[in-house]
Amino acid sequence: MSTHIQAPAAVPLTKAAAEKKYPAKMPRHGNANFYRRIVIGLLAVAVLAPVGLIIYQSFLTAAFFSPRAHFGFDAYKYVFTDKNFYRALGTTAIFSFGMVAIAVPLGGLLAFLITRTDIKGKRLLEILVLVPMFISSIVLAFGYTVSVGPTGFVSLFVRSVLGFVPWNIYSLPGMILIAGLSHVPHVYLYVSSAMRNLPSDLEEAARTTGASVWQVSRDVTLPMVLPALIFAAALNILLGFETFGIPLVLGDPNGIMVLTTYIYKLTTLFGTPTYQLMAVVAVVLVLITLPLVWMQRRLLRNARKYAALGGKGARVATLKLGASGQVIALSLIGFWLFVSVVLPIGGITVRAFVDAWGEGVNLFDQLTLTNFSRMLEVPSLYNGIVNTIILSVVGGAAAVAIYLAVGLAGHRNWGMSNTVLDYIVLLPRALPGLVVGLAFFWVFLFVPLLTPLRPTLVSLFVAYLVVGLSYGLRLLQGTLIQVAPELEESARTTGATIGRTWKDVVIPIVRPGLAGAWALIMIIFLREYATGVYLMGAGTEVIGSLMVSLLQTGAMNTIAALSLISIVLTGAGLALALRLGAKIHD
Amino acid sequence: MNKYVSGRLAAVAVTAVMTAFSAHAQEVPAGYPADYAELIAKAKQEGTVSIYTSTDAAQSQKLQDAFTKKYGIKIAYNDLGTNGAYNQVISEAAASQTTADIVWSSAMDLQMTLVQDGYAAEYASPEAGTLPSWANYKNTLYATTVEPIGVIYNTKALSEDKLPKTYGDMITFLKSNKTELQGKVATFDPEKSGSGFLHHSNDARNRPDFWDLAKAMGDNGAKIYSSSGGMKETVVSGENVIAINIIGSYALDWVKESPNLGVHFATDYTPAFSRLALITKDAPHSNAAKLFVDFMLSSEGQSLLAEGGLPSIREDVTAGLNIKTLNERVGGGLKPIAVDEGVLEYMDQMKRVQFLNDWKAALGR
Repeated sequence: MSTHIQAPAAVPLTKAAAEKKYPAKMPRHGNANFYRRIVIGLLAVAVLAPVGLIIYQSFLTAAFFSPRAHFGFDAYKYVFTDKNFYRALGTTAIFSFGMVAIAVPLGGLLAFLITRTDIKGKRLLEILVLVPMFISSIVLAFGYTVSVGPTGFVSLFVRSVLGFVPWNIYSLPGMILIAGLSHVPHVYLYVSSAMRNLPSDLEEAARTTGASVWQVSRDVTLPMVLPALIFAAALNILLGFETFGIPLVLGDPNGIMVLTTYIYKLTTLFGTPTYQLMAVVAVVLVLITLPLVWMQRRLLRNARKYAALGGKGARVATLKLGASGQVIALSLIGFWLFVSVVLPIGGITVRAFVDAWGEGVNLFDQLTLTNFSRMLEVPSLYNGIVNTIILSVVGGAAAVAIYLAVGLAGHRNWGMSNTVLDYIVLLPRALPGLVVGLAFFWVFLFVPLLTPLRPTLVSLFVAYLVVGLSYGLRLLQGTLIQVAPELEESARTTGATIGRTWKDVVIPIVRPGLAGAWALIMIIFLREYATGVYLMGAGTEVIGSLMVSLLQTGAMNTIAALSLISIVLTGAGLALALRLGAKIHD
Repeated sequence: MNKYVSGRLAAVAVTAVMTAFSAHAQEVPAGYPADYAELIAKAKQEGTVSIYTSTDAAQSQKLQDAFTKKYGIKIAYNDLGTNGAYNQVISEAAASQTTADIVWSSAMDLQMTLVQDGYAAEYASPEAGTLPSWANYKNTLYATTVEPIGVIYNTKALSEDKLPKTYGDMITFLKSNKTELQGKVATFDPEKSGSGFLHHSNDARNRPDFWDLAKAMGDNGAKIYSSSGGMKETVVSGENVIAINIIGSYALDWVKESPNLGVHFATDYTPAFSRLALITKDAPHSNAAKLFVDFMLSSEGQSLLAEGGLPSIREDVTAGLNIKTLNERVGGGLKPIAVDEGVLEYMDQMKRVQFLNDWKAALGR
């Protein structure tokens, strides 16, 4: 079944047609190829240096800097004969596909309800629905243990009513459910943007023939957004493979291990860290995800074609839900929001203001503010808060500028260099943040000119930049693609160079989009935790990684307070994003 | 030009001598060598000391503040965790970019590995004589704390009088309360936690009945955790009833703020680990590092650590707990892990793998 045929408004461009319209070989004068090569070259260095180091490390018998290290396949031999590796691999696969099975239908449904129907409170819902995406999974997992863990306050309430707790979040199904619910926004983001760009004539036509909302969505809307759904599924499988926080907090106690926690285990299993084994697992993750990247690319190409032809005044008329439809839809969304926003954030909030909780404890007796006063007494904690703000606000702005430079390099470019660019961008996505952080720690330690930057926030910024690359670039590309090609073409025909066209036409048009992208990148940097574990030091602490290191000594009170601060900062970032007119959904 | 340079040199020398003199006049602690004033002056010139550690800043903040106040030397405090500290030290040395002056970590085995592999410098601290002999390894590795390993339990689920008094009784206790304890016993995962490995393997070295205990925990469906924090949270909440082989120094602090948490030690056998300090071989601020190690081992420094919840190895410290009062608190069976090559036994890969396999077999995993 070809979805193209059923979506007549979105005429797909074949590669040949695309090249005819935007020839690969632009006129020599004002050709951006030089700029393009420089940018892609620099980006390749930034991404391939750590990735290359990891691949190199995987073929050695000891740490790459050790005099005892020599070339060999021992590390591969160990990993590929370790039954724990296969168990972790299997668990990861079940976890990822299970997560997708929950997130994709639910995200698709939410996208449909919010973009294609006349559901009430649309503007508010659009924002609320994305909230789980902006909270780091480690914070979410802590929050869930306090609210719906075996002795969480919700669990204890349910037990007092039913006599038992009907769920267990410390199990694979529990982890899958939580991960699935918290990844709904990732699906919503892609699918709603595809749905927004669909013209509504077909749905309206179907409705006039007497088809129900359900029939219309199944027979008309669903086929048209299928590519976006598949794309979102592929992306979520990728995300599932690199999830760390949820398995660390919820899977660990019962020995449920996924590939990322298996890597984490390799740091202690042999007493001293076995970097070569960690590298092998990271390489395996890359090899698993490369086909997904390839698939994403093919789908993204289609998605772009739709997007390029959308926005041409296709009015989106909404389907009428009717009174009972409204109630059903709103309670559905309300229930999902309760489970994936209220429960974890409520849990963290409670935990931050008490020093004990659980069975037989009256929370009101335990209320305290000491968890927060500690932030002012211990320099590393307030440093962490200040640094996190600097890194996300200033670093976020710098990142947007850099992503824009990269986005322009790939803008309206159908050449080979764009293929290279797409793979480079998605490569770091495949690696766990922990491993990327470790690799950058070494890059900044061993590359002579970079060494002075290691103990500064710059090293963290570069690692964050690479980790956030695929998300950030997609945001920018989404904005850039909305500039009507005619505007650029007319500028070019009057003799403007590509650089001038970008400066005077493209960038002014996308400026509002840039502000929104800045706020979103800010939030992404705010919630990052694994990347900084190896990079932060005295004076360069960040909230997320502080929580991971505090976990070792059991300062749960401090962790809860830091989590709440991080949520409040995220809320501020989100409010800013909305003020700046961020189109979160595009 | 030459005259100018020598003039400046002379000025520097004069200042150095003067600061040395004033330092000598005010600060050289009693019983320290006479030339210690020189060390203080040099350390002040270095102006900063960089510490790589696994100790939460909150626990050592008083020590840090007092040191900086006394000498005007800033502390770059890097809480990297045990593995992070080890990783950064060997990586920095390989890149000839040593930044760490002091490594202060609870991973006794990793610290000893650093010493054996030549990453540490020898320094005879003037305080060395005040320490127990087991606390000083060849003037390169010093024990700075003594921290008991014990049990935490949920007071709403168990009362202290029900808890077993001795190590051996614990095995019986786990066996005879199987129904109540099923799935509610927590302990360290030695595969994921370096501290957990150290505690379990130290018991295995010292207690022939360690494997019976492991098996009893396995029969109770014990859950294994990679951090003390995870265990504390589950026992506080009542999800687990008891956590075995937990860091008692933390637990003694936790029970002060959590009404439903209790801490308990076996009277016949309470092992204790230490946070060990070493000065790196190429320490960029080696004088400040020496000064800090001396301060940390001094009566004043030990008091400040003990106030922060890390019991002192010196008997003359009155703040918080010291090795003597701690021994009374745990019932007289305190057995500190000696700072010697013994901690390296399980760094041997074959032995380590064997230990972990035995552990998994005992736990039925």
